[in-house]
Amino acid sequence: MSLLSVRDLVVTYATRAGPVRAVDGVNLDVPAGSITGLVGESGCGKSTLGRALMGVLPDAGRIAGGQIMFEGTDIAALSASARRAIAWRRLSFIPQTAMNALDPVQRLRAQMLEVLIERGGLGKAAALARASELFHLVGLDPVRLSDYPHQFSGGMRQRASIALALALEPALVVADEPVTALDVIVQRQVLDVMRNLQARLGLAMILVTHDIAVVAYACDRVAVMYAGRIVESGPVADVLENPLHPYTMGLTHAFPDLYGDDMTLVPIDGTPPSLLHPPTGCRFAARCPFVQPRCAEEPPVTNGDHHAACWRIDEAAELRALAAIPATWVPK
Amino acid sequence: MTALIEAIGLEKTFRTRGRDVAAVADVSLSVARGEALGIVGESGCGKTTTARMLLRLEDPSAGKIIFDGTDITTLRGADLLKFRAQAQLVFQNPFDALNPRFSIRRALAEPLNNFGVPIREHADRIDAVLHRVRLTPPAAWLDRRPHELSGGQLQRVVLARALIPGPTLIVADEPVSMLDVSVRAGILNLLREARDALGLAAVYISHDLALIRYVCERTMVMYLGQVVEEGPTKELIAHPAHPYTRALVAAVPVPHVAQDRAQLPIRGSLSDAAAIGGCAFRGRCPHAMNICTELAPTLRAITPTRRVACHLEGTIS
Repeated sequence: MSLLSVRDLVVTYATRAGPVRAVDGVNLDVPAGSITGLVGESGCGKSTLGRALMGVLPDAGRIAGGQIMFEGTDIAALSASARRAIAWRRLSFIPQTAMNALDPVQRLRAQMLEVLIERGGLGKAAALARASELFHLVGLDPVRLSDYPHQFSGGMRQRASIALALALEPALVVADEPVTALDVIVQRQVLDVMRNLQARLGLAMILVTHDIAVVAYACDRVAVMYAGRIVESGPVADVLENPLHPYTMGLTHAFPDLYGDDMTLVPIDGTPPSLLHPPTGCRFAARCPFVQPRCAEEPPVTNGDHHAACWRIDEAAELRALAAIPATWVPK
Repeated sequence: MTALIEAIGLEKTFRTRGRDVAAVADVSLSVARGEALGIVGESGCGKTTTARMLLRLEDPSAGKIIFDGTDITTLRGADLLKFRAQAQLVFQNPFDALNPRFSIRRALAEPLNNFGVPIREHADRIDAVLHRVRLTPPAAWLDRRPHELSGGQLQRVVLARALIPGPTLIVADEPVSMLDVSVRAGILNLLREARDALGLAAVYISHDLALIRYVCERTMVMYLGQVVEEGPTKELIAHPAHPYTRALVAAVPVPHVAQDRAQLPIRGSLSDAAAIGGCAFRGRCPHAMNICTELAPTLRAITPTRRVACHLEGTIS
C-alpha cells in the first residue's frame, strides 16, 4: 500500500499561447519509509509535479485532472484551507534555496517556534526543547538558533530548512533540488543528514533532482520524467543498471564518471518537444535512436515494480548494448 | 614541454569591511601548449579568481604571469589586446553571455572587429568556426538570435566566440554547469576535439572532479586560496595524497548504486577553517598534528609529476 498514489495527474500553466501541459498524465506510487528520486532535465515537469504535490503551484498553474491520493485522501481535490491543515504536519517541503524557506529578518529560533507552536500546538517550553533537538539532529549547534539566516553558510541554511521541514514529523517530505546549489562536500553531508533522518524517523521523501548520481547515492526508488510524463520507474538499482527506456539508457552514458576506463560521453541529440502542442505517441521518439513507426502511437506502460513506457521493452537488453555505442546516438 | 602560460606566486587580496582578505594566497602553475589543466575546489577557494588573473581580467596583487615567454603581468593597451586574442574565456552561463539583440553572425563578427581582423576574412572564419562547433550548415544559424537557440546551441555559439580569434589558450569556468545533462556531453566532446585539432592549451575550472577527469590530464586542487595538491588527474583521483583531496574525491557522487557511503574524512565547514598561521586545512583535517598549527606546509614534489602541501605526506595511507 503506497503512502502516496498519483493517478493520471495533469498540471497546466496558462500562457498567452494557451495551456502548457507541464505534467501530462503522471502515475506515481511512493511507498512509506523510502526515498524516491524524481529525475529529469529542465522543463520535464519534475518541479511542477513536486509543487503540485505540495499544493504550492504558482498562480498560472493548476491541477487540470487526476488524483493525488495521500493517506487515503485525494489532496488534489481539497480546498486551500484543508491543504494548509495537513501542510507541515503530514506533508512538508524543502525548497532548492533555503533562503526561500527561511525568513531573513527572523532568528531561526522564532521560525522554528512558529511552526512548532502554531502548527504543531506545542507549548513554548516543549517547542524550545524540540527546536534544539531538531538542530542537533541535522548537525547544527543549538546555540545557532539565535542566529539569523544570513549568518549561516549555504549548507547550514539547507540543514536549517530540513530541520524546519521535519519539525512536525511529517509522513512525506518533498525536496526540490535540495543540494543543487551546494558544493560537493556540503552536498554529500546534507544528503547524509537527509538519509539518516529518513531512516530514523521512517518518513518517506521525494527528492527532485537533475542529477542521476545524487539519485544513485541517496534514493531507494527513482522515476525518470521526460516531457511531462514518467517514462520509467522502479528500484534505483534496476533502473540505473538495467534501464528499460531508451531515454534512461541515454542518460546513463551522458555523465562523466570518476573511475573506470576512458569512455566517450554520448550526448542525446535534439531537444524535448513543446508542451504547448506535444506530439502524439511517445514524446521521446524524435530523439530516440530506436524509433519505429508504431512509436507514433501511445506506448504501453509495462507492469511490474520496474516499469517503463516503450514499445520495444521486450528488446531492452539488445537496445542497452546498442545504446552503449556512441555511433548509435549520432543523428542520421 | 615548454610552458605556454606560467604563473609565479600569484596573489590577490580584496579589501572588504576594512580588512584585506586573500582570495588567492600563493599560486604557481604552468600549462604547456596542447595541455589541459583542471582547477578544482569549493566555492571561495580562489579558483575563479586565479583564472581571471591568468586572463588579465583581474590584476594580481603580487606575483607574475609569463605568456609565451613574455611577462604580461602589467600589459596595457595594444599589447594587452594582442594577448586577449591569444587567451580567451569561455563563459559559464550561455543564457546571458550573448547580446539578445545580436544575430549569431554579429555575435561572432564582434570579436573579429575587436581584434582587427579584416572584414574580407570574416565570412570564411565564421563559417569555419560554426563547422568546428557543429552548428551546420552555418547558413541556417547566422541570422538567428539567441532566444531561438537551446542552451546547448547557445553554449556552442559561446565556444565559437572564444575560438574565432584563433587563441592558443582557452580558459573555461564551469563550462557546462548551466546545461542539461543530455547536452553536456556534446559540449565536453567539442572542447576535447577543439583542443586536439587546434593544439590549444586549456584551463578548466570546476567543482566537479568527474568532469575535470574527462577533459584534463593534469589537475590542481585549491583550498582557501592555496594549491594543496597537483598531479596527473587519474593518479590524483585514484590515490589522493592531501587529506582535503581525499574528502573531495570521497564526496563526488557517482552514477552507480554500489558506492562508498562511509562518513567523509573531513570535519566542520569552510567557515571553521580560517585559522591564521599553520596549515589552512588543519581545522577540518582528521589527521591534524601540532606541527600543522605551527608551520604552513609548502607544496613539494612527492613524485616527478605530483606535488602536495601536507606535513603528513608519506605517513598516512
